[in-house]
Amino acid sequence: MNRTKSKAFFTSNTMILVYVILAFSVVVALRQPAFLSPATPINLCRAGLFTFCFALCEMLVMITGGIDVSFPAIGCVSMYVPMVLYDRGILPDNGLYFVLVALLCGLIFGLLNGVLVSYLRIPSLIATLATSSIASGFLAFAFGVKDLTAMPTAFTKIYEMNLVTYTDPASGLSYPLTVLIFVPVVLAVVMALILRYTMGGRGLYAMGGNLSAARIVGFPVRRLQFTTYIVSGLITSLTAVMYVILMHNASTTALMGNEMLVIAACVVGGCSLSGGKGTIGGVLLGTLLITLVQNHLNMLGIDTRWQTLAVGIVLLFGVLMTSLQAGRGKGRV
Amino acid sequence: MKNPLARNKQVGTLIALMALVCVLMLIFCPGSYFTAKNAKSMLFQFPEYGILAFGMMLCMIAGGIDLSLVGIMNLSGLTAALILLALIPEGTEASAEFTAVALIVSSVAALLVGALCGLFNGFLIGYFGIPAMLVTLCSLQLFTGLVYGITGGPAVTGMCDAFKEIANGTIAGTFVPYVLPIFVIVLLVVAFILHKTKLGREIYYLGTNRKASVFSGINTLKTSMLTYMTSGILGGVSGILITSHLNAAKSSNGTSYTLLTILIVVLGGVHPDGGKGDVVGVTLSVLLMQMISNAFTLLHISQDVKNFANGALLILVLVCVMLIRKVEEKKKAQQ
Repeated sequence: MNRTKSKAFFTSNTMILVYVILAFSVVVALRQPAFLSPATPINLCRAGLFTFCFALCEMLVMITGGIDVSFPAIGCVSMYVPMVLYDRGILPDNGLYFVLVALLCGLIFGLLNGVLVSYLRIPSLIATLATSSIASGFLAFAFGVKDLTAMPTAFTKIYEMNLVTYTDPASGLSYPLTVLIFVPVVLAVVMALILRYTMGGRGLYAMGGNLSAARIVGFPVRRLQFTTYIVSGLITSLTAVMYVILMHNASTTALMGNEMLVIAACVVGGCSLSGGKGTIGGVLLGTLLITLVQNHLNMLGIDTRWQTLAVGIVLLFGVLMTSLQAGRGKGRV
Repeated sequence: MKNPLARNKQVGTLIALMALVCVLMLIFCPGSYFTAKNAKSMLFQFPEYGILAFGMMLCMIAGGIDLSLVGIMNLSGLTAALILLALIPEGTEASAEFTAVALIVSSVAALLVGALCGLFNGFLIGYFGIPAMLVTLCSLQLFTGLVYGITGGPAVTGMCDAFKEIANGTIAGTFVPYVLPIFVIVLLVVAFILHKTKLGREIYYLGTNRKASVFSGINTLKTSMLTYMTSGILGGVSGILITSHLNAAKSSNGTSYTLLTILIVVLGGVHPDGGKGDVVGVTLSVLLMQMISNAFTLLHISQDVKNFANGALLILVLVCVMLIRKVEEKKKAQQ
């Protein structure tokens, strides 16, 4: 590796992110040695699981040059509708049916987003904001707002399946790592391969970089965009099912408010709102940073009430970093 | 540059829609809709989000968007509440003069906070060239986080009665609420800025063609800072109103207003890409939305259905806008 190349590597967005994460961890570890226990990575995995899955959807949409703020609402619909159906005895005690209904919900709203953005060409933010409002309004109106906890027995079994369980010798608390951690791993690997090696994946980056150019080169841009929103809806509903399994609970607003967290993770991880940028590795690091800040702020002696602000500051940091790296593009509104 | 026919069409459509609401309500519940009491309650409600919608309108005409308005609203509302509580603690009585001074000081502080928030947005957008959507999404999180951090969750309450009067009182001897003249003043000021000042022209140019406006010598940094500052001040006005109306300042007030204001602005003829729209359309659209929302309340339709309807309406309007645009483009291509 020649010198300029290695210099570029050490000052790249990704490496800056790594430095920040390391610095944060060191500071936390100095103040609270308990941070170094094996319980920390297990906790981080559990807390970051949903954020990472949602961030993968968001990344896909952002690569195409859009933004999606509807996934919390879509997630709520796809966890709550099968829950209600199961609760009322309409769905049998079979996890598969549950997942299918959830995926169907995700598909419907993903389709709606796709049609609005790619065929009717409504700006993605406004379209997904509207979808979000429609989804959550529909949910609360049609199914009520009661919290539900009854779920298929298969889900309880999955909940009890753990890869490793770490028991803290001092406190006796155990920290299990769920097998569901494989879902995001598989998703990430598959997605990375598709984005890197398939024509469709390259097309997503191409259209995010320059839509007209991508069309002229011959990418079916509308169809690609459409597919992106559908895939995003499906992954969202899958994540919602995982939420039900791990949290043993479903409510109509369980995931609401998650969108900022996820957008922050993506932006910090190097996705650009103008499209064409974003890598799985970056998003993983972004999720890690956000989850660290969220979970360990109190270890620094900062009250949890400042969590929202902390996420905002991380987001601001990501926004500024991305724009400074891209060079100052003066003269825009 | 402006097409008077298109504008009249927009105004005509909005008035027709208002007439439609009236006819529907005449059929479904004539007894309660066309009453003085109902008219009065409507007059109290719309200025709060109508003023926010003007802020959103300014930013959208300039080709941006201001998603942080609700955050600005809550932050400046909290500022007003805290200053007022510091001057007149809960449960104490103050003389009329002192109360007036306290009200003015806290309101000015709220507007200042709004202006600062807006300047922050405008600076990031104009100086770094970051998309407005991302900047304001980020600052929404920051402002909301500040409010949540300061209050710690529960609402700040116990402001003096005079403060409650701002949004809940009427001008002595009439049924006109104080908020109505405030709304009219804001409307006139925004109309003046847009149509009679250099800033207004620059906002339109910026939204129509950003590159061209840079090359024609417009200081885009200054323009975007002023645009977002104005929007922030309007957020501040709204913040005072909502805090006074609910007599409580907290981080989750008015969260449904983001979608509502975007809906109002788009319905009022402002194109999300910028450069189009004016005060008349948006004002009519504010009134229309108030009529619809009021009709829903009287028909005992829940807030959830309202949210659903707002989302569906937004999509419907945008689909219409896009279709009309396509037809126009085709016409142009044929010529």
